[in-house]
Amino acid sequence: MAQIEQSDNKGKKKKGAQKKMAIHVDFTPMVDMNMLLITFFMLCTTMIKSQTLKIALPTNEKAETVEQAQTAGESDAITLLLDTERNEKTGEAVKDVVYYYFGAPKFDPATGKPLPNQLTQQVFATDSSTVKDGKKIAIARGIREVLTKRNNEVLKSIDSLKTLWREGKLAADKEENKRIYDEKAKAIRVQKDKKPPIVIIKATPNASWESVISALDEMNITEISKYQIDNIAHADSVLMGLAPATPMASAAK
Amino acid sequence: MGKVKIKRKSTLIDMTAMSDVTVLLLTFFMLTSTFLTKEPVTVVTPSSVQEEKVPMSNLATVLVSPQGQVFLAVTGEADPDAAMKNKEELNLTDEEAKELKGKWASEPIRMEILENALKSYNSKFPEGDKRRVALTQEQKNKFVKLGSFGVPIKDLPRFLDLSDTDKDQLFAKFYKMTPEEQAAYNNDPNNIHVGIPIDGNRDVTDPRKRNDFQIWMQALIQTSNPMLTSAVKKGDALAVKADRGTPYSTMHPVLDNLQSLKLTRMKLMTALKER
Repeated sequence: MAQIEQSDNKGKKKKGAQKKMAIHVDFTPMVDMNMLLITFFMLCTTMIKSQTLKIALPTNEKAETVEQAQTAGESDAITLLLDTERNEKTGEAVKDVVYYYFGAPKFDPATGKPLPNQLTQQVFATDSSTVKDGKKIAIARGIREVLTKRNNEVLKSIDSLKTLWREGKLAADKEENKRIYDEKAKAIRVQKDKKPPIVIIKATPNASWESVISALDEMNITEISKYQIDNIAHADSVLMGLAPATPMASAAK
Repeated sequence: MGKVKIKRKSTLIDMTAMSDVTVLLLTFFMLTSTFLTKEPVTVVTPSSVQEEKVPMSNLATVLVSPQGQVFLAVTGEADPDAAMKNKEELNLTDEEAKELKGKWASEPIRMEILENALKSYNSKFPEGDKRRVALTQEQKNKFVKLGSFGVPIKDLPRFLDLSDTDKDQLFAKFYKMTPEEQAAYNNDPNNIHVGIPIDGNRDVTDPRKRNDFQIWMQALIQTSNPMLTSAVKKGDALAVKADRGTPYSTMHPVLDNLQSLKLTRMKLMTALKER
């Protein structure tokens, strides 16, 4: 291929004709150089672009109004307490744990000790899947199962809306279809009669950044639109057994 | 007896096809990839199911190291004609828009942020005070070339005078230390402090009390690019990047500072995972 063969006029040699040589270009150094360049590009570049998770934190000044909202809807409230088990020597995160309770924590007024069986321990887990009627069905596990159950009505409506969107039945135009879906889903998430919960996410100082992200991620997966990140209260620490119980704790909450 | 001659075949292998393949591969890599940006510390971001991508231009990234040092990286507009294209929204005349061509790219915008920040920092101290920081034009030019930075404003002149390798060495050495050594290093005023100071002050109304991080973020909002300002406020141009194992006690001061500045919307950098 790299040779250019030149015919020599049916074997006859004309007198005075120049001797023709086979032209052969050796491509080996070219390949060497290309390989080097490829290696360079492979090592210096990244193909995976980071994903992002959008969040909105409450402003510091609004701290009081948040408190009010919290007490107003106490029956709808779920509090997630994030914690991470760490290796004692290296401080490396070993396992993320999430505790949850409904409403406000209750304490024994006399001793300040929390009443038993309020706090449940859960983990962040991915869906497991089973096949039913030839269809793959995802089953929520861990904390997602709890949140899914609590937000069941919203999820059901959004699921049926999602099928409409996937089939492109909301509007003929693709972008319009998506826009209508987003709008309707947003309305469903806050519909009062569907009893959407309010989730309060509180991270202990020890909790890993990953657990915070996981908790926010669960909010998106389970279509919960009302959630907030809050500072951990003394009552929560007492509940988790991280702080000693004092009669003060019950008075504070 | 005549010897039996074995005809030798040429061992030349034709490399043309091989060369073709490698060139194709090379083209593929050159076109699809984006270069890794050099960061002072490597962090492994946590994963989420979100599919939204990080914007390539007009982005300020707050990088938090596992030990809590804060670094800032600013990328400007990728399109030099951005002002021209959005002139109606921004209420600009043709000439004004023409003048702004290329002015919002990474380097000019970093220069602007630096000037803003220096002005705001120096206003903390009275005229002629030793603590005021003045940078030479050469130092400023070096600053705008930096991808990310993470030293206090008071240490900027010393830091910028270092050669590129020494700058890398500074961070590399710092992250090889134990947490105790790091704290001791940062407490010594003779050393170049690593990380933008974020401690103290939740009241940002008094500019003289702002910490360095707040000064930088304010400078970022006050650039001449109104699109950047609104994007930062909306949270489209502000990203927080941290390691998955970083404890919340380390992250909290950073988030708290942003909250004080009323920058409550932001993007958190994550990697993709299955749900």
